[in-house]
Amino acid sequence: MLEISGLTKRYGPVTALDGATLTARPGRLLGFLGPNGAGKTTTMRCVFGLATPDAGEVHWDGAPIDAAARLRFGYMPEQRGLYPRMRVADQLVYFGRHHGLRAADAKSRAATLLERFGLGDRARAKLEDLSHGNQQRVQLAAALVHDPVLLVLDEPFSGLDPLGVATMSEVLRERAAAGVAVVFSSHQLDLVEEVCEDVAIISGGRIVASGGIDELKAASGRRHLDVEVGGAGSRWPGNDDGLTTVLERDGDSVRLLVDERADLASLLASAQAAGEVRRFSYGPPRLSELFMDAIGQAGGAGTPER
Amino acid sequence: MKRTTVMWLVARREIVERGRSRGYLVSLIFTLALLLMAFVIPTLTKGDDTRHLALVGTPPTELQAQINAAAGRNKVKVVITAVPDEATAKAQLAAKTIDAALALPADKTGSGTLTFQEARDATIAEICYEAVVIVRAGPDVLQPPTTQIVAPPSEDQSSALIFATAGIILMFIGIFTYGQWVLTGVVEEKQSRVVEVLLSTIRPRDLLVGKVLGIATLAIGQLAALVIVGLVVSQLSGQVTLPPTTIGGVVQLVLWFVLGFLFYATAMGALGSLASRPDEANNAAMPVTMSATLCYVATLVFVIQSPSGALAQVMTFIPFSAPMVVPMRVALGAIEAWQVVIAIAVMMVAIALLFEAGARVYSGAVLASGSRMKIRDAWRARR
Repeated sequence: MLEISGLTKRYGPVTALDGATLTARPGRLLGFLGPNGAGKTTTMRCVFGLATPDAGEVHWDGAPIDAAARLRFGYMPEQRGLYPRMRVADQLVYFGRHHGLRAADAKSRAATLLERFGLGDRARAKLEDLSHGNQQRVQLAAALVHDPVLLVLDEPFSGLDPLGVATMSEVLRERAAAGVAVVFSSHQLDLVEEVCEDVAIISGGRIVASGGIDELKAASGRRHLDVEVGGAGSRWPGNDDGLTTVLERDGDSVRLLVDERADLASLLASAQAAGEVRRFSYGPPRLSELFMDAIGQAGGAGTPER
Repeated sequence: MKRTTVMWLVARREIVERGRSRGYLVSLIFTLALLLMAFVIPTLTKGDDTRHLALVGTPPTELQAQINAAAGRNKVKVVITAVPDEATAKAQLAAKTIDAALALPADKTGSGTLTFQEARDATIAEICYEAVVIVRAGPDVLQPPTTQIVAPPSEDQSSALIFATAGIILMFIGIFTYGQWVLTGVVEEKQSRVVEVLLSTIRPRDLLVGKVLGIATLAIGQLAALVIVGLVVSQLSGQVTLPPTTIGGVVQLVLWFVLGFLFYATAMGALGSLASRPDEANNAAMPVTMSATLCYVATLVFVIQSPSGALAQVMTFIPFSAPMVVPMRVALGAIEAWQVVIAIAVMMVAIALLFEAGARVYSGAVLASGSRMKIRDAWRARR
């Protein structure tokens, strides 16, 4: 289990982290969310010793993280992170060996992963000769080659085509199922909602919300009502009772923010009176709405990207 | 993991990846070709030279004809002129309008005297010998003309000078070529963010030092190839007589190349980490390259003229200049052993300190993004 507590990091006048605290559990996927400059990358860098926090601690399985522990972690930074002119298989072996694998093990792991990602025939090609998508697959393979117990990925989905997104989420889910603690940052909230069990939302260097997505949704006082009333147009909901707010309107479809005290039965009745009710779904907010709420409470924008 | 294992992994990657790159092979072949040309071209042009020979005073009448005949047998063209006396001959020798002067009395007493300016020319000596033997046809007929050389240069000194100069030039080129590899390698790793992945498991110092050692291995490989080819070719072409200091000189040259490279390449790597793009890297490394160039020029201009002078003595103990000054003084035989020992000790301490200081700047700068960093900020940065 990865436990980050009270992490604080200042770069001159800029406070990148301001007491950030979060936990990532083995076998679970944690989506790490926040606006640009909120402190996601700095947090990850602290885990890998690439940044030294001014205060706070990072523990793995109850002990402070040292060099030996990091050998069993896998990190994929946001940009590339590979040698453009080095052969694909050689890079994987190289990174595997830096994580303590013996040469023979590193070679067989590299071959297995390349096969798994459909790159078996490109093993001897230079990285720069591969397509963009394949380069990203190699990058993921480099983070996986030593079979890490903790996998931290910075924006792994950015720039991927739908096929790449599918492969990436499949691999991440598979790693989590194998008992790995997976943490990744992303701005694609719908994707995070679909892939992750847990989220941590950071803003201005502080974690403003964290926990299981379902629990966060349940705990949120917000409830949403998605209604489609055929032919009603903007006639429904007509009178404003102060308990509902229109969030979005698209033709006959309306998304409402509903206060807990609102009477759903009378809302349905008024909708039926206005036209043919095609959809009437009541439920918790989407992750993106939780995110906007959390960020809004924290005072909005983060500091500029460093 | 053991730190030596880590450094070996880093060094081996540099050796394998760069060693099989076209750049390394091309530069190796190119430099070898340059070296060969330096030795071969003079030999070719010298081969079909016309010899100019002066006959002094009043030689036996048939001498000129016999010289021409001997020249024909030796397939050499000899232009013969007459000079009235030995003083005129020596003046012409000094002015290099003639290659040799032959004096044989008209009465054919004695085997005559053959005079050269700086060195004996074997071809002229052979031709004159044949001609004199036939002309005289007397009792001590097989006696060759006495050879005299007006101003023999110190043989050892001149080839030692060639040797030392060649060594310093090789060293300078090597430090720059391969130091550049360290420089760009550091910036490329920084720019591609490979360094983030690497530094999540290894220390910055091990990465920097491993890289320098790996590239140093390639550089020494190239230097060794050049020195061996150079020595062999120079022996075969017979142009340079190796000075007695050769073995010591080669050992010192290689040793100082290693020391100089470790010193300069580490400094270049550390400064290179301040840059954010490869095109900025050379600006960042300017202080180091400028120092190296100054020391190089000072060595070739001043130290070479007075290898035991005050300047040479001082530069022997300064890490920036020692790698060039010491092998130069060694090749010229103008340094005492204790100075070499102390210079090596100073250099090794300087390199050890630079490894630590360079690694501090490197680790402060290499993970930073954005524009070029100042060295002071990198030194102070806590990452």
